[in-house]
Amino acid sequence: MNADLLKQHLKREGATLVGIGDISEALSSEIMHLNRGIAIAVNRNLNRGTVEILSRLQGLAVSWLSVRGFRNLSIPPDSDRQKDKLITKLYKLFCHKTAATCSGLGWVGKNGLVINREYGSKLSWATVLTNAPLLPDRPIRESECGDCDLCVRHCPSGAVTGHHWSVREHGKKLVAYEKCAALKNVRQSIEGKPNCGFCVTVCPYSRNGKKKAANS
Amino acid sequence: MADEARKKEILEKLRNGVIQYDEDACREGANEAVAEGLDANEAIFDGLVSGMEEVGRLFEAQEYFVPEILMCADALYAGLDILKPHCKQMDLGVKGSVVIGTVEGDVHDIGKNLVKMMFDVAGFHVYDLGRDVPLDKFVDEQLKTDSELVCLSAMMTTSMVGMPKVIEKIKAKNPNCMIMIGGAPTSKDLADKWGADGYAEDASNALKEAIKMVAFLKKLRDEKAAKQ
Repeated sequence: MNADLLKQHLKREGATLVGIGDISEALSSEIMHLNRGIAIAVNRNLNRGTVEILSRLQGLAVSWLSVRGFRNLSIPPDSDRQKDKLITKLYKLFCHKTAATCSGLGWVGKNGLVINREYGSKLSWATVLTNAPLLPDRPIRESECGDCDLCVRHCPSGAVTGHHWSVREHGKKLVAYEKCAALKNVRQSIEGKPNCGFCVTVCPYSRNGKKKAANS
Repeated sequence: MADEARKKEILEKLRNGVIQYDEDACREGANEAVAEGLDANEAIFDGLVSGMEEVGRLFEAQEYFVPEILMCADALYAGLDILKPHCKQMDLGVKGSVVIGTVEGDVHDIGKNLVKMMFDVAGFHVYDLGRDVPLDKFVDEQLKTDSELVCLSAMMTTSMVGMPKVIEKIKAKNPNCMIMIGGAPTSKDLADKWGADGYAEDASNALKEAIKMVAFLKKLRDEKAAKQ
């Protein structure tokens, strides 16, 4: 089943990127029947209220699938912050990074974030899982960070280990999140803003993305 | 008090709200029930829970999968939150409290949570120990709370082996306590062998058993009402 219609539909409505991933390998038994992941990305540079935009796009994808009689499950962009419902327990069974890499929209960088060739790590992601037999895009299975280690050197908490991500080595520790979190706590108490964002801003891919956005 | 046709309409709204996992519909139905003086217990059991029973059927028929079940349960809770304060404490003739948890070494708690929810609805006092619960914690909690029922859940054969130890310890300290087990690898035979009093059969979905329990409680309630 061709996914171009759906992709065009979502892009017209404000999605920066849309990809279809064959995610069968990454699913646990509870959601095994939903073997396609629709990765939807929005460029944070261009938009405020990214979460709202993504949620709206997700809603559009869900209705597109539902009227065609397919099952679906939305993993919201801020899935880690939602805890008050039962369905939120399923969110952690699947992460946006998997949908992004399976649909070829990026790889997981040394900084532990999805890096897209055009936009770097400046994208926010939402995923819709579905059983619709959409034609999947070609996945990215290896890191394309190469020798670049800017994020390793610039991370103020020394959390970025510098390892390469690969689909074959699932669970390899790319970032020492406890170090990152410790710094976030300090920053939160001093400045009221937890994120430093160096690992995003130093990434050459993210910078190119920004230039492109400014030019267009 | 609303007339019969209106009452039916509200109950139907609650029921369908759960089945179609429509939280807004459940909230709306619950608010209407409260505003129009419908009996809250009736709204819960003949509306929300009746919907959940249908969901259980759809799950068995493989029309619904785990995500749908959870969304349905969320919709049920949305209505329940509104109705619960208006509930008369249900006297089911089965008073009691229950200690529930997933045994040590096991982090699967979706089934356990659904069972817990149904106990909640039925008016039990639930002490939820969560998941990956150290075996002695069940024993201690049962003694501390003097609960009539202990429910043990496990999704893996590796964690299931903790169950007979808990059962033995609880029975040694308090022979009157009832113990029920459930979870994918467990069975009626194992429950009997280990000396458990009950078994939540086919526990890849503990929901089904919970629904049976609620249906059973409902029957008790109805029988009691008939006697009066």
